[in-house]
Amino acid sequence: MKKPELLAPAGDLERLKWAILYGADAVYLGGSLFGLRANANNFTLEEIKEGVTFAHERGKRIYVTVNIVLHNKEIPDLIHYLQALEEIGVDAIIVSDPTVISLAHKHTNLEIHLSTQQSTLNHKAVLFWKQQGVTRIVLGREASKEEIKNIIDHVDIEIECFIHGAMCASYSGRCVLSNFLTARDSNRGGCSQICRWDFKLEDEKQNVLEGEKDFTFCTKDLSMLEKIPEMIEMGICSFKIEGRMRSIYYIATVVNIYRRAIDRYFEDPKHVTYHKEEERILRNVANRDSVVQFFDGVYDESCQYYNGREEVSNQDFLGVVLSYDEKTNMVSIEQRNYFKPGDHVEFFGPSMDPVSVTIPQIYDVEGNELDRARHPREMIRMKVDVRLHQNDLMRIKRES
Amino acid sequence: MTKYITTYNYLKETKSYADGFIIGIKDLTVNFSGVYEIEEVVEMIQKLKEEQKEVFVALNKNMHEEDLKYLEDTMKTLDSLDITGILYYDIALVTIKMENQLKTPLVWAQEHLTTNYMTCNYWHQFGADYAYLSGEITMDEIIEIKENTEVKVMVPIFGRLPMFVSKRHLVENYLHYFHINTNTKNFQIEKEGKRYPIMDNKQGTVVFSSYYLNGLSESLVLKKHGIDYFYLNFDGIKKEWISTIMKNYVEADDENKGEYEKAIDELLEGNTDKGFLYKETVYKVK
Repeated sequence: MKKPELLAPAGDLERLKWAILYGADAVYLGGSLFGLRANANNFTLEEIKEGVTFAHERGKRIYVTVNIVLHNKEIPDLIHYLQALEEIGVDAIIVSDPTVISLAHKHTNLEIHLSTQQSTLNHKAVLFWKQQGVTRIVLGREASKEEIKNIIDHVDIEIECFIHGAMCASYSGRCVLSNFLTARDSNRGGCSQICRWDFKLEDEKQNVLEGEKDFTFCTKDLSMLEKIPEMIEMGICSFKIEGRMRSIYYIATVVNIYRRAIDRYFEDPKHVTYHKEEERILRNVANRDSVVQFFDGVYDESCQYYNGREEVSNQDFLGVVLSYDEKTNMVSIEQRNYFKPGDHVEFFGPSMDPVSVTIPQIYDVEGNELDRARHPREMIRMKVDVRLHQNDLMRIKRES
Repeated sequence: MTKYITTYNYLKETKSYADGFIIGIKDLTVNFSGVYEIEEVVEMIQKLKEEQKEVFVALNKNMHEEDLKYLEDTMKTLDSLDITGILYYDIALVTIKMENQLKTPLVWAQEHLTTNYMTCNYWHQFGADYAYLSGEITMDEIIEIKENTEVKVMVPIFGRLPMFVSKRHLVENYLHYFHINTNTKNFQIEKEGKRYPIMDNKQGTVVFSSYYLNGLSESLVLKKHGIDYFYLNFDGIKKEWISTIMKNYVEADDENKGEYEKAIDELLEGNTDKGFLYKETVYKVK
């Protein structure tokens, strides 16, 4: 059985490096043109080149989204952009408009993945795209496990599925709420997440059908952590994490947890267990509840935030390990959120299992003892008897 | 010559003026009102053809694996009836047409994705002789598409525009979660004084624009550029007004366009808009 690729998002070069460092096999990103996240930082061609070099040196892959719905005026610039991406050496482009496929085939040898924006949910559609030279299909998020199995059984092509992150309330590509309510084009990178707004639901006589909370399209996030073994056994080729605009901590945490889940399966497929504590961490890091949704054929009210947002703490991220002195066991940490001696924390990183620690005495860079770490980005030093590494992260340890 | 089409369920009110009709089929159509069993559709098609009307069938929902058999059977049935075209969103229809060598032309109708001429031409290679253009593009873009494509172009010119399609049962879920009892079947959602029709049925949930697009004056400009079809959506319009609106569109000219357009605006109490015909949406947020 082939190990699936763990595919992570990156909104900028720094996030790209953290994603790879924490275990992503591949990273997808948006260039400054033709992507679907206009308000993510996005990459210049020079930054894409640097990202590609960083990834390839570590045996990882880079995919670039070219997945906007094209308008006439954008066509002339597209060919040069595609050629530039090929020259840089990106491993694939992710597209939704078939004109991009045509032009990429005609003017480059770029590998092409079909974006979820096409909402591909059946094998007949998959077959068409395969015949057009697409090598991978990112399925629509509405696909159930039976549908995914059917598609894999019918067509020999790489199948990529989302495993974690925010969900569109609509079929991807079929929502233009942003266009109408904010004049931002949701299919050209301007989605302003109207699905998270509140509305009044009314009957035809404008009587409000009032619940305790207003009507909203808002859905919970997706989490497939407990389904990872099943997804591996189905032969899904790539597991995709959503969220090019997410923080470094989010990317490191989510990638790390899924990396470990995939690796655990391949170490001992018969005795793999689902770690509820990891699920809790995933929920905390996103500050949103997450559920399985369409994979199990469930898309009822349990998948939505009709009950108002269940706010949970997003202050878990406490610091980044800058260095560790093995002789003195002193660790230098860049503070990201408030902590103090006596707090129960956890270190985690790409090369270690999470380790629980009680914060000992803490010091500033000049060796002055502190009663708490209260200043963001302040360097804190303390003694930790566990071997730590640069870029390990420290988070709150919560009781299960 | 530009033709005018609407959905079959407004046949009675529009028959004198409409050149063709779009028919929906149960479980395979979204965003076109009036859906029927395939047996009923066969009869409708025969009657419409006797009256020399063009017939389009919309099979434009997102197709899941479980839909494929019914979809293929339906497409084969329609192919024997010599209709004008089949509107598609899901690419499964393109494969089914090729696999079965069906002769019925396709209408590329990917709703918000039909925004450029090269992609119109792309789908033309695979049997799409028509393109039903997005409601979110400008006059200039529509004209540029027409000038650069070989396919026949359909433009939504009147009525509420589709904004959202979901597999989720958003209204049903909300009512159920909060134990709200209601007998109404006609829902709307309100934000800042604007009301958007929202429909939740077996296929999921759809939402339409708060206003009625009224592009009567613009239809004259587009006609001069050879636009092949205008689609008028009469959902939400009082039955007694439909005939007048259809007539105004078909009989409009440079002399009467102001008067005709104003008459429609007044019927609809000012809840009309030019949509995106002059409004380019933002691509870059910053």
